[in-house]
Amino acid sequence: MLNRLRFIARRLALAVPTVLFIVVANFMLLHLAPGDAAEVLAGEAGSATPEMVAQLRTKFGLDQPYPVQLARYLGNTLTFDLGYSQRHGMTVAELIGKRLPATLLLMGTTIVIAIGVGVLLGILAARGLNTWRDRLISVLALLSYATPLFWAGLMLIVLFSIKLGWLPTSGMETVAAFYEGPQRVADIARHLVLPAVTLSLFYLALYTRLMRAAMLEQADMDYVTTARAKGLDERAVVVRHIVPNALLPVVTMAGVQIGALLGGSVVVETVFAWPGLGQLAFDSLFSRDLNLLLGIFFICACLVVVANLVVDLLYTWLDPRIELR
Amino acid sequence: MRTFRLFAAVAVAFAAVALLSSSPAVAQKRGGTLVMIVQPEPPSIASYQNTSAPIGQVSAKIYDGLLEYGFDFKPQPSLAKSWTVSPDGKTITFKLQEGVKFHDGKPFTSADVQFTFMNVLKKVHPRGPITFRDLEAVETPDPLTAVFKFKEAAPYAMVALSGYESPILPKHVFETGDLMNHPNANKPIGTGPFKFVEWEKGQYIRLDRNPDYWRQGQPYLDRIVMRFIADAGTRTAAMEKQEAHIAAFSAIPGVEVNRLKAMPTIDVTTKGYEMISPIVLIEINTTKKPFDNQKVRQALSYAIDRKAIIDTVFFGFGKPATGPISSNFEANDFYTKDVRNYAAPNAVDMANKLLDEAGYPRKAGGIRFEMVHDVIPYGEDWRRMGELIVQQLGKVGIKTTLRYEDVPTWLRRIYTNYDFEFNSNFLFTLPDPVLGVHRTYWSKNVRPGAPFSNSARLTLPKVDQLLEAATVEPDHAKRAKLYQDFQKIVVDEAPVIWVTELQFTTVTSKRLKDYLVSPLGVYTSFNRAWLE
Repeated sequence: MLNRLRFIARRLALAVPTVLFIVVANFMLLHLAPGDAAEVLAGEAGSATPEMVAQLRTKFGLDQPYPVQLARYLGNTLTFDLGYSQRHGMTVAELIGKRLPATLLLMGTTIVIAIGVGVLLGILAARGLNTWRDRLISVLALLSYATPLFWAGLMLIVLFSIKLGWLPTSGMETVAAFYEGPQRVADIARHLVLPAVTLSLFYLALYTRLMRAAMLEQADMDYVTTARAKGLDERAVVVRHIVPNALLPVVTMAGVQIGALLGGSVVVETVFAWPGLGQLAFDSLFSRDLNLLLGIFFICACLVVVANLVVDLLYTWLDPRIELR
Repeated sequence: MRTFRLFAAVAVAFAAVALLSSSPAVAQKRGGTLVMIVQPEPPSIASYQNTSAPIGQVSAKIYDGLLEYGFDFKPQPSLAKSWTVSPDGKTITFKLQEGVKFHDGKPFTSADVQFTFMNVLKKVHPRGPITFRDLEAVETPDPLTAVFKFKEAAPYAMVALSGYESPILPKHVFETGDLMNHPNANKPIGTGPFKFVEWEKGQYIRLDRNPDYWRQGQPYLDRIVMRFIADAGTRTAAMEKQEAHIAAFSAIPGVEVNRLKAMPTIDVTTKGYEMISPIVLIEINTTKKPFDNQKVRQALSYAIDRKAIIDTVFFGFGKPATGPISSNFEANDFYTKDVRNYAAPNAVDMANKLLDEAGYPRKAGGIRFEMVHDVIPYGEDWRRMGELIVQQLGKVGIKTTLRYEDVPTWLRRIYTNYDFEFNSNFLFTLPDPVLGVHRTYWSKNVRPGAPFSNSARLTLPKVDQLLEAATVEPDHAKRAKLYQDFQKIVVDEAPVIWVTELQFTTVTSKRLKDYLVSPLGVYTSFNRAWLE
């Protein structure tokens, strides 16, 4: 146990320079983009005098040289102050705090669906190798892997919201109703179905293929022959021996993909008007709200670091031979 | 027996009266929640400081103005119940409504009017410094009288006093604190029919009925919820499924509008944008060869097939534009169609002829010269228009390449660096040319860093004189003449190509009634709107 805690502490300490490097790199990259927040605000307003734009720029601190801006930003980040979004008139921490739960809910549900269903389908396909079941699963996986997310989302809306009327088209809750308590939970769950399914499709297909391949590979291993030789029935061989070992590559892949999942959620959040971080990041890029965008990147970097740590801990649970150092 | 009969007769009479009086032809129903799609989500709802298009759809429900306007552009009472304009146009006296309260319960007085115009709109409103530049003082002889003193007559100011353009703010709230970043910027307190309740960023803004609204019995709706849905397909689905009741400013794409229009539950209109009158235009960099040549600019204008653009890009929504002033201003004589007609039947021949005359004959491959066309980065429609223009210019021998950048990059290129040749755009020409037209043609509006100013950089003393004279001319007929002369000259000079008068669509549920009461459309308070 102590060993495990020491491992976690060391990994987190190592993550600090990584995250800082990401912050600096993001800062420099984003400042390469022409135009700034003051200009965008003036542009949106439809008209503004150059004096007003200059006034905004001073207020936003954009009139300072880049190194000064960077030094300030780094200093603030180190004290966990993500700054202020002039555009929204709120602190970045508050803005992100409001959106993070929606994103985590969508991501969490997606991961559960994608891994759960993907693993299950992978096992089913591998156990019925080259039967109609295997082929059907493979074709479905290929289809959902190849379908663009936004199109799949819109088609699901057309089918389940407009034609069948089972589920709402968009949003996280029925905004005009202002439900409370358990009713609200049920309402959010109904709204969650379509975006979570859409976002899972791609990853589900990936994990299905991966699980199938890993299962087949493990099935030929010596330890499986040994398990059979000592008289275990087929079910026990699969569940106790093959599956845990076959899960390792899937878990590895899922860990790596947490970051990509955030990217994919931009599309899904846009299509379903899901009020998460992805859409916020997208909007803030086009309005050059750099403080906010850097804040979101910072949070995402932290999420990925934590996710990878969790994956490493999962390894030791799945395969006791792996040691933490 | 007799008494009974008498009693029965009286009872029947009473019943008849009761029946008759309880069934008026159309009764506005009280109650209900209106769900409005606002696209995109506004950056703020501080309409005194930012005029970004989605803001007014929210703020005009919360803040009243001194005036409202009829479809004839004539002012109607709002917070000002009556007004008189002095003969020289330099003094306007407003008598204010009695018993009006702000949403926090404090009374509304002439001091709020004075504060709003002198301390807020003249200073931090994007258009305020132009609209009210000649407003020297607002005098407040008593709490219900506000006297506007102008240095010169300002006829255009009279159409800029709506709750959308000039929202009346509570002095007691906004006089303390930084106006550029006020704590109440996104927690507005006005006198309007709806009170601000909450803004869940990325989801919705909720406004509730103001029970103490000064127009007794109004508003009829209990609540308005503004929803933000970034994807056009999803917005359409939400309207189709009646999850939302109204989507204005072409939030539903043209191709879908024509499909929804056929549904029994949906209404579509292009009315309610007359005081915005957007014009699609192409700005030409007149300081750069070959565009410094008037003949080349005219040829480019002839080469554009406006009808084809309206039909294919805008799905039939729009009207060919003839010049800088929208034909919506035919109503008050500002508009004239008596200008050079670039949509003539022989337009392509004219273009070829002018280009030959200007010294740009067809060379190898039939090409006269090459250029880059910057496309306004506001979505697919504009990119499609760019592609069509490339084809149309190809017919007269101009090889055009499209450049599509994101908004900040584009703004800087066009309005700060002037590093462009041919740029598509659309501009709100607003309720008066001083507010929305002058900026594109007046030489003093060549101001680097000011978005949507005179980027063509044509400077013509004749044009300047006409515009400056029209700004301060109190006599309406004389003013109209000045604008007609201006149109003839500037259309001939062709610093920009006027393509179409853009028609925005408003898609509504048939259940929504009486929301469209003004040329400001959804930029009004919805005090009379109701749901069936």
